[in-house]
Amino acid sequence: MADDDPIWEDAPDSPSSSSFFDRDRHIRFLEMMYQLLPSPYQSQEINRLTLAYFVVAGLDILYALDRIDKEAVIHWVLSLQAHPKNEVELNNGQFYGFHGSRSSQYHLTDDRVHEQVAIPNGSHLASTYCALAILKTVGYDLSLVDFKSLSRSMRNLQQPDGSFMPIHIGAETDLRFVFCAAAICSMLKNWSGMDREKAKDYIISCQSYDGGFGLIPGSESHGGATYCAVASLRLMGFIDKDILSKNASSCTINVPLLLYWSLQRQAQDGGFQGRTNKPADTCYAFWVGGVLRILGADKFIDEGGLRGFLLTCQSEYGGFSKFPGSLPDLYHSYYGFCAFSLLKERDLNALCVELGITAIAAIGL
Amino acid sequence: MEVGLLGGGGDGLFHIIYFRLRGGGGGNNLEKVIYAKKLEKIILDEPTSGLDSTTAFRLVETLAVEKGKTVPSSQIVMDREAPDQRPPIPISKRTEWADVTPIPQDDGPNPVVAIAYTDEFRETMDYFRAVYLADERSPRALQLTTEAIHLNAGNYTVWQFRRLILDTLCVDLHEELDFVGLLARDNTKNYQIWHHRRWVAEKLGTNATSNELQFTEEIFSEDAKNYHAWSHRQWVLQALGGWEDELAYCDKLLQEDIFNNSAWNQRYFVVTKSPVLGGLEAMRDSEVAYAVKAILAKPENESPWRYLRGLYKDEVQSLVKDPRVASVCLDVLMNKRDYVHALNMVLDLLINGYQPSKTLENSIDALCLDSVLSDSGLAERVCSVLQVVDPIRANYWKWRKSGVTVEGPNGKELAG
Repeated sequence: MADDDPIWEDAPDSPSSSSFFDRDRHIRFLEMMYQLLPSPYQSQEINRLTLAYFVVAGLDILYALDRIDKEAVIHWVLSLQAHPKNEVELNNGQFYGFHGSRSSQYHLTDDRVHEQVAIPNGSHLASTYCALAILKTVGYDLSLVDFKSLSRSMRNLQQPDGSFMPIHIGAETDLRFVFCAAAICSMLKNWSGMDREKAKDYIISCQSYDGGFGLIPGSESHGGATYCAVASLRLMGFIDKDILSKNASSCTINVPLLLYWSLQRQAQDGGFQGRTNKPADTCYAFWVGGVLRILGADKFIDEGGLRGFLLTCQSEYGGFSKFPGSLPDLYHSYYGFCAFSLLKERDLNALCVELGITAIAAIGL
Repeated sequence: MEVGLLGGGGDGLFHIIYFRLRGGGGGNNLEKVIYAKKLEKIILDEPTSGLDSTTAFRLVETLAVEKGKTVPSSQIVMDREAPDQRPPIPISKRTEWADVTPIPQDDGPNPVVAIAYTDEFRETMDYFRAVYLADERSPRALQLTTEAIHLNAGNYTVWQFRRLILDTLCVDLHEELDFVGLLARDNTKNYQIWHHRRWVAEKLGTNATSNELQFTEEIFSEDAKNYHAWSHRQWVLQALGGWEDELAYCDKLLQEDIFNNSAWNQRYFVVTKSPVLGGLEAMRDSEVAYAVKAILAKPENESPWRYLRGLYKDEVQSLVKDPRVASVCLDVLMNKRDYVHALNMVLDLLINGYQPSKTLENSIDALCLDSVLSDSGLAERVCSVLQVVDPIRANYWKWRKSGVTVEGPNGKELAG
């Protein structure tokens, strides 16, 4: 920007924007994030691809993808891909996906390139999901790149109980990574990377006595986990579109209980809570709202109430915060935008809920 | 008076107003963007963290000048940095690291969502890269991972390398527990910390059991619903044992807060999985009594209702046949308050073949509007009342009502 163009003369002198979805302000917010994230974000350095996903997919929802340099984004994302040097490396049990950032990716300097040194491979399932989501969002043709190593090596991450580890060197396993795996396979149109039946069994084992899903078997029902479960089942083809009209016993999960649990998450203040008896939080409007959309039950949501709550979390600086009155952050902002898309806010792109990107991006037009 | 907050804050929530330095020449390329607001007063919260002194000085100067447009510079208030936040000695100036060449991060020409790294962060990670690639598993490398973790507790590469070092150096893992414990308190929602804790506990084996249970209880005393801590506790019980007092612990938490759904979930976990209790069937009777008592204390509390339903998970007919279930619904309905969950439970019973008593019918009819009383079945009337008293879910109850009419009260569990 030119020096004689002080930003504050551009900003609308409006009062706190609590009565309408302030699309312009949100676009500006994402543009700032796209340019530079403030230092407190360095603690999320390892997940930079995820932060990029929030920005790029967010701008896509807001119909403002023209604000980014698509070529630069593609170039940067592809540079984070891990490639095995040869067939031997491909079969060494590691996962060849995408790194979340340079901080887990290492290059040998030129003078060492001839050494027989194994370059550490820290590629991560969630980063891989974000990478592919970004590429699809900016319209990159995924068939242009060889993803065979990715699909083949993804199997190394699936556990005997059907769950997924995010990295081959060892980490927690839970429903989040089952979702990442399913979404990756769906976007690549290639399911050789996972055993779907086993994954389904694991998901079923995560359904709690109250109908929601926990992150691991035995855990408390949680909005985010429930989204991962239901979205995965939809992606893998285990949930039909008109599931509500079908006989409950024909389903692999207890749908009526799930439906009731999900609807019960809408609290008196209109927002969605992540767990029973917890305060409402912006992001669950997507996690749980998304579940209801997949089930075809979003018609049962009190949309006016939800909208009202979300607007109290809308920041005058752009973006959304977790609770009313807090400062906004990128994560809650992105899911706030998603929530408004689900509410069919005008001038926003529709979502492909189970993939976590816009419908247009999912189709690949 | 409007106040804008600039910079600072390291708890993951970022303050989104940031600032651009105007004026060319000198300094580094660091740019932060001032948000457009007419601010009357700006409080600079740790404004110079992450900036070298030249840039920091220029920042203040710039703000004073720019602010002259809207606010007199005298209105700029600088927070004094807390003493323990003085930056540590740069690694490049520490003699024990003199032999190591740091490896800078190659971000490439067009990094997306670039982060404004502080000098400290950048340097620490540059040195980490060096020891990581050299696979140096030394005490100084261990210390370096400590510093790197403090800056970026989510970096699993650092954690993984730390584990390799701990193994190689045969470090006393009890000290490691202390380290992780302190970290976990400051970063309660970080997955890597908890994973590391589990790794340590696994190595220590059953010696660690009571310590681990104790640790999660300390976390719960500040946040009784911490999801990670609950997962950890469940893992400890299943991997290391310690079930004996678990049901009592759940009860203790529920006495403190009967609305704590995490504690209810844990109770279910114990009842179904504990090797010392006999399983769900054996425990069902006493647990139904427990749930009923909690319901009567606070009928508006969703947790014990779901728990009660869960005790009969796949045996709906047993739920229907247990007189205490209908009985607690009736008790709540007779009080004519906080009966939404009771009505839902009655609906569940009815569509699964429960034959209501006249008393129950009357208690529901007492809640109905006159127009509703003409609805043919009791189940429909329940739905009609729910449409009114649970307006957020009015459309859902309307749909349930139509489902009841179509399938009939003795039909398959259409939407139960």
